Amino acid sequence: MKAAPFAYARPSTLDEAVAELASADGGGKVISGGQSLVPVLAMRLARPEVLVDINGIAELGRIERSDGAVEIGATVRQRAVERDRLSAEVPLLGMALPWVGHRELRSRGTVCGSLAHADPAAELPAVACCLDATVTLSGRTGPRQVAAREFYAGAMMTGLGPDEVLTSVRLPLARRADGYGFAEIARRHGDFALAGVAVHVRDNRVTVTGFGISDRPVTRTVTGEVTGDLLDAMVDTDGDGHASRDYRRRLFRVLAEREIGKARARAGRKERDDDQ
Amino acid sequence: MTTSERTPRPVRAEAGDLVEVRLTVNGTPATLRLPARVTLSDALRDHLGLTGTHVGCEHGVCGMCTVLVDGQAARACLLFAVQLDGADIVTVEGLGRPDRLHPLQEAFGRNHALQCGFCTPGFLLSAYDLLATTPEVPTEELPQELSGVLCRCTGYRNIIAAVREAREESADGLPAPANCGSRALVGRAAGQAGHDAQQAAAGPEKPVAVDVVPPRGEPTVTVCVSTEVAVGSGQVWDVFDDIHLLARCLPGAELTEDLGGGLYAGRAKMAVGPVKLAFTGAARILEHDRASGRLRVLAQGRDTGGAQTQADIELRTEAVGQGTVLRADAKVYLTGRIAQFGRALAGDISRRMFEQFAASVGEAATSGRAPEGPVKPPGAIRLMLGTLLERLRPARRSRGAR
Repeated sequence: MKAAPFAYARPSTLDEAVAELASADGGGKVISGGQSLVPVLAMRLARPEVLVDINGIAELGRIERSDGAVEIGATVRQRAVERDRLSAEVPLLGMALPWVGHRELRSRGTVCGSLAHADPAAELPAVACCLDATVTLSGRTGPRQVAAREFYAGAMMTGLGPDEVLTSVRLPLARRADGYGFAEIARRHGDFALAGVAVHVRDNRVTVTGFGISDRPVTRTVTGEVTGDLLDAMVDTDGDGHASRDYRRRLFRVLAEREIGKARARAGRKERDDDQ
Repeated sequence: MTTSERTPRPVRAEAGDLVEVRLTVNGTPATLRLPARVTLSDALRDHLGLTGTHVGCEHGVCGMCTVLVDGQAARACLLFAVQLDGADIVTVEGLGRPDRLHPLQEAFGRNHALQCGFCTPGFLLSAYDLLATTPEVPTEELPQELSGVLCRCTGYRNIIAAVREAREESADGLPAPANCGSRALVGRAAGQAGHDAQQAAAGPEKPVAVDVVPPRGEPTVTVCVSTEVAVGSGQVWDVFDDIHLLARCLPGAELTEDLGGGLYAGRAKMAVGPVKLAFTGAARILEHDRASGRLRVLAQGRDTGGAQTQADIELRTEAVGQGTVLRADAKVYLTGRIAQFGRALAGDISRRMFEQFAASVGEAATSGRAPEGPVKPPGAIRLMLGTLLERLRPARRSRGAR
């Protein structure tokens, strides 16, 4: 379990990082926290020629608030967000983070790294899709914004180009009467979810994002009732020895209905508070 | 303790070069020169002689190697030491003195919270981080909070009892690690991880002609894909008859040698996100019958990293109107490292590869050539496969995707 040799670059500017990736011509890989990437390297499932460490780029370590949204930079650790007031301002993030790996992984793992790794059973890509977040990808031609819902292209596959760095994610702050729900079922705490759900309720509109149920997060927005058939249709993974497709469907439906109920109740409670 | 907001120094090192890293380990400054791929756990054990940090799985599952990095628990096998320039590391050696153990260690002793002791350093530092950062952690959350370290003696109850006791004893705050201070760190066998750079540069292995043995047992993944192509079954069989053309319909695959008797040597590359595998192997055609519309192929391959795959593939064609329904049934067997990516992931990826294969066969049957760019298969999988192909053929990334 030793990674194959690789060239290592830790530039101090984003331009240098992009140039390093571009000159590697597809053989480069960005590392930030490395908590998903290092196991892949240790098992030699990946042998990048050059690892570009972005931790030397000071500007990527920022958390900034503006216009009802918060922007989290690429080297911000998951645990820093978990402890920040951010987890109250973006409640879904606060609800999801304790489920991301273990505390020891969140010490080093980054929010943006999890988004870029795109494991179909990961929590944070689902949160980003549920909240309709935007990621910024920076490459040779400058930065571009992509909606999280458009970003995921399959299992561990995204719209990120070989010379691009996912430099930040922009998440909308919660409004007072919003309601949220989040739950997942894994065999052990910290394992990848067999099925999981993130829910956002605003007025009569429900946004449900499932993860672990397809090759990418699956999002549906419904006004009014969310039917069981709609939830079932979101699950299209083949399943495996741990859980068949039917089992995951059942699991997802139960989790989703439960969390939609909680999110509606939370939203309703806040509305009633406001009326008084 | 808080996370220090330091920005590490810029570095550019070729594979095999030694990189300078400055760490503070248990209060002692240490400057190491290491290849970039050396993990913190190996740096501590092999270069600094601090063997109290244990190494179990080496890929971030078991938690044995948990240490404190800038005051927070982290897995030392998931960090490259070069990434930690300027960091403050505390290992179990820094926690207590031989004559005066840390209160956590005392509590572990009193509660018999260790049997074989292999997981103990990991549990101690995970528990230290927990109690230092959230001293108010409720008892019922302890099992979940301590789930980042595994104990194969399964002595969890005693471990949880020890941590609970340490929490109650240190209501005024958990004492800091007591054995940190400036002292000589005795190194061992320095630089041993740097030797095989040339080995890796030796290039891909030559395909070895071996016989293809039928796989046995339960397949890892079963794939069943059916697609309709708008050409007659005769044209589809023209593709099946040209075995080289057929192989190229599988993204990243080609036949390199005809070994006679229906046996072929070949290679295949696949890429899924950061995962890149290059297989060399062989395929044997078991059945090739145009009349009954059946083609059965056994294939096996091995990646240089030790991943192995075998597949039993049956292709069937059926004329429907002007077109042909192409059905692929495949039993895929994965062993070695690739099987670590079990879950449903292997199934989803295999299924989509066969969907791409079926679409390419359709394209080849129409044009007589294996498609060189992304083929648009029907339905919602188009986007994913476009990206997959772009990754498989990075040279073709420039604009004009068809």
